Amino acid sequence: MTLWLTIIAGGAITYLTRASFILAGDRIQLPAAFERALRYVAPAAFAAIAIPAIFGGNGLSNLGDDVPRIVAALAAGWVVVATRSVPKSLVVGLVTLWILLLVS
Amino acid sequence: MTEYSFDRPAFFAGFRDVIPIALPGIPFGLVLGFLISEAGIDRFAGWSSSWIILAGAAQLAAIELLAEQASAAVVLVTIAFVNSRHLMYSAALRQRFAPFPNWFRIVGPYVLLDQSFALANGQPNDLDNRYRMWHYFGSATFLFVMWQTVVGVGVIVGDVIRAEWQLTFAVPILFGSLMLLSITNRAGVAAAVVGGVVALLGSSLPQGSGVLLGIVLGVAAGAAWETRLDDTAGSS
Repeated sequence: MTLWLTIIAGGAITYLTRASFILAGDRIQLPAAFERALRYVAPAAFAAIAIPAIFGGNGLSNLGDDVPRIVAALAAGWVVVATRSVPKSLVVGLVTLWILLLVS
Repeated sequence: MTEYSFDRPAFFAGFRDVIPIALPGIPFGLVLGFLISEAGIDRFAGWSSSWIILAGAAQLAAIELLAEQASAAVVLVTIAFVNSRHLMYSAALRQRFAPFPNWFRIVGPYVLLDQSFALANGQPNDLDNRYRMWHYFGSATFLFVMWQTVVGVGVIVGDVIRAEWQLTFAVPILFGSLMLLSITNRAGVAAAVVGGVVALLGSSLPQGSGVLLGIVLGVAAGAAWETRLDDTAGSS
């Protein structure tokens, strides 16, 4: 029972964070500078999720172990910039990682 | 309400457009399902987090804590921190979604996932509102059904994803790609660099708060860079 209640409360918290500003809609006015800044949510958020995951997420002390992942991520990044295709970058990134892990 | 009546082409365009960026979540969902089955909790309740919470990273953190028999308070605080980025997504989409009917602004946020945000946020400004709304629901429908299915399969069939295949690396590649696709100017580069570096340096902070710190400082960096350019342009 506690398990269900915890999950439902977790769902409620998640919904409220997602709904917050959208639900408020036109009823609130935010400073123009704040609205302009929100255009940078996407690059900042996606970077904040991707970069720690690529670099191992355990700080910078064992960067050597992360080299294959970093090289694979750079290859994938190059592909997505050149082709604008996420599936292509995914294939190139994973294949690069497999090759590097095989030869290392 | 005919103004916002069902727009079939828009719905299916959204459904199709999200597939390439939804598929990288499959290995992650299978692993999450496996971890749910191993966590020593009721499997149906664990799987139900997929439609109740509907957020992979938060579900993963919650399941790991539940497996360690952490208190409900710790689980909920962690979910709040991991999902705090949705507050930023919600703020970023507020003006675009403001003209939509009330029922949409109640139901729509339930399916505001990273990928549905990426599509809705990246769309051009001149799109028709009705198209925009049904495109969002089309993408969200695919994401929702895929997530319930994949996590469910993971719970039932268990350890299908071998760690040595490194398939979960699809998630960082996906987010790195979404990051690069979302950058449209130098201020965007500043936002991404600061967001990524701060989150990396803060990755040992509790409850994933480094990610939140990275997003906030990254957004501030992007805005500051933009202002600096405005000033330069104004003074010349």
